[in-house]
Amino acid sequence: MGVAYKAVQWNRQKLVYDIILLTTVVFYLFFFEGISLHLSSDLDLKGIWIRAFGSAAFILLHIILSIGPLSRLSSKFLPLLYNRRHMGVTMFTLALLHARDALAWYHDFGNLEPIVSLFVSNTHYADFVRFPFEALGGMALVILFLMAATSHDFWLTNLTAPVWKTLHMGVYLAYGLLVGHVVLGALETNPHPFLSAAVGVGFVWIVGLHLITALREAEKDGVPLFSQAIKSNIDADGFVHIGSVTDIPENRAKIAVISGERVAIFKYDGQISAISNVCQHQNGPLGEGKIVDGCITCPWHGYQYLPDSGISPPPFTEKIPTFNVKIQGDQILVNAIPNPPGTPVVPAVIGQE
Amino acid sequence: MSNHNPQDEFFIGYLGVPPRLKRFLLTFIPVLVLGVLALAFLLPTVHFDQFNLGKRTKVPEFEGLLIGNPSPHLLVPRDGAVGTNSDFSLYLLSGTGKTSPKPAVLEQVDQWVKLKGTPFHRNHLTVIATRSAEPTEPPTSGPIQPTEGQSLGEFSLTGEIVDGKCYPGVMKPGRTKTHRSCAIRCLSGGVPPVFVVHNQAGDQLYFLLSDLDGTAVNDKVLDLVADPVQIKGEVIQYADAFILKADPATYQLL
Repeated sequence: MGVAYKAVQWNRQKLVYDIILLTTVVFYLFFFEGISLHLSSDLDLKGIWIRAFGSAAFILLHIILSIGPLSRLSSKFLPLLYNRRHMGVTMFTLALLHARDALAWYHDFGNLEPIVSLFVSNTHYADFVRFPFEALGGMALVILFLMAATSHDFWLTNLTAPVWKTLHMGVYLAYGLLVGHVVLGALETNPHPFLSAAVGVGFVWIVGLHLITALREAEKDGVPLFSQAIKSNIDADGFVHIGSVTDIPENRAKIAVISGERVAIFKYDGQISAISNVCQHQNGPLGEGKIVDGCITCPWHGYQYLPDSGISPPPFTEKIPTFNVKIQGDQILVNAIPNPPGTPVVPAVIGQE
Repeated sequence: MSNHNPQDEFFIGYLGVPPRLKRFLLTFIPVLVLGVLALAFLLPTVHFDQFNLGKRTKVPEFEGLLIGNPSPHLLVPRDGAVGTNSDFSLYLLSGTGKTSPKPAVLEQVDQWVKLKGTPFHRNHLTVIATRSAEPTEPPTSGPIQPTEGQSLGEFSLTGEIVDGKCYPGVMKPGRTKTHRSCAIRCLSGGVPPVFVVHNQAGDQLYFLLSDLDGTAVNDKVLDLVADPVQIKGEVIQYADAFILKADPATYQLL
């Protein structure tokens, strides 16, 4: 959390995560080359490494893009989300090695600078089938570089979470470019049904998983995509009826959409507090978190906030908006207008109107 | 950490993994890792043209007649009784990069030379990545001048234009879309273009490309490499190779 920057705030989970990640990548590359050598001794080894790095990066990108929606569908996948940034940087490194070797092997030793050759050797930019797939890979690599270079919390804080998040949503553009890169490059050269099926299944998986998750999120928010949205019922005092206190498990929250924004309403120690659902760190869903040691704890990276003020406990400094709350009978009412981040709010006490 | 109720487990990265979640991860992560590693076993087996017979050979030196057109090549007298076959083997010549042989080599065109380089061959197509050449005396026995090329007639052939250096084994695959840019660099640098045709029996036939004046077509075919192309022209038997003579403007992209 936001006290002082370190390159990586290591802990056991991150170490285990990275060991599994890097070991898998190393074994993938080792097996890829080993199987190729087993099949033939007269190999273009540079070409083998280009394919090994490229395929490893593409597979890893599919895993990275799956983690987000899977974590929305089930909290069991949250440990994969916890250190996803290291997976992203690893994927970028593999993509960079793929690009470095391809640039040197296919474009160096000629009559143009390799980087110039990459973009001007094949000039059929207006032709779908003959399109220079290398340019798509190059554009994707730039996006992945920007993401890897700004992956540290320093950039997250200084760019602000919404800007950082928007920048990092560029991964979807990068994925689209890379699907084009693979389809118009590797698949055009190698029309083997297994390769085409693998890329197709991967694409359908990523798109389908995101669609399913989006539909479920919309249903939960009361704004289903294919039916009438449920309107917030704001009373004369500006409060919205959220539901019964019995709807919320102890130390957990209910998420409600008020004026288009998600609000997390927590029940703890016989009290109710409401804060913004958006963690200041990476915009994680605080309402899917839990009160741990008296603090609302984000399910993504464990950032914590005091429920009655939206302020991180000292020495941390994060602040999020709070909402005034009251209880009528067993019904919770939350003010539709948020308080400025870090504003103390007296929790509503259950059973005491 | 307040995880006393196993039904209400909550993962916090810096505090450790709760038991039920750990059990799930101990199943899921090995399955995921094994799935990824399975692809490392499968993907190399479906490489296109990765395991062709093109290879580097270790003959470091050749003696023969250096010819400049339609593309630089060396005619090397064949040993022993050749019968009705050609007296010479034709080896294409490139530089060590995506280039033609160096000017110091090409200055010796139409002379007998001792040539040093790295040969690559695929089937009956050989290219020598030439490092140097020095004049030598013609052989005292055997043929010293190849016979003129013999026309075999007009043909319409469908195939792919490749660069004569990567295709024989420097790169695998040294053809089609992923290799297009490299082939363009090679041909624009002076590597001999070769037209690869598959006959009905599946054999690969190789044709050196020549324009109607008998000179190289490199810069005129850059836009056509790595795609199916139809060429109508005169096929000439030359040494142990074929030359396809046609106006590059008539090459048709299919």
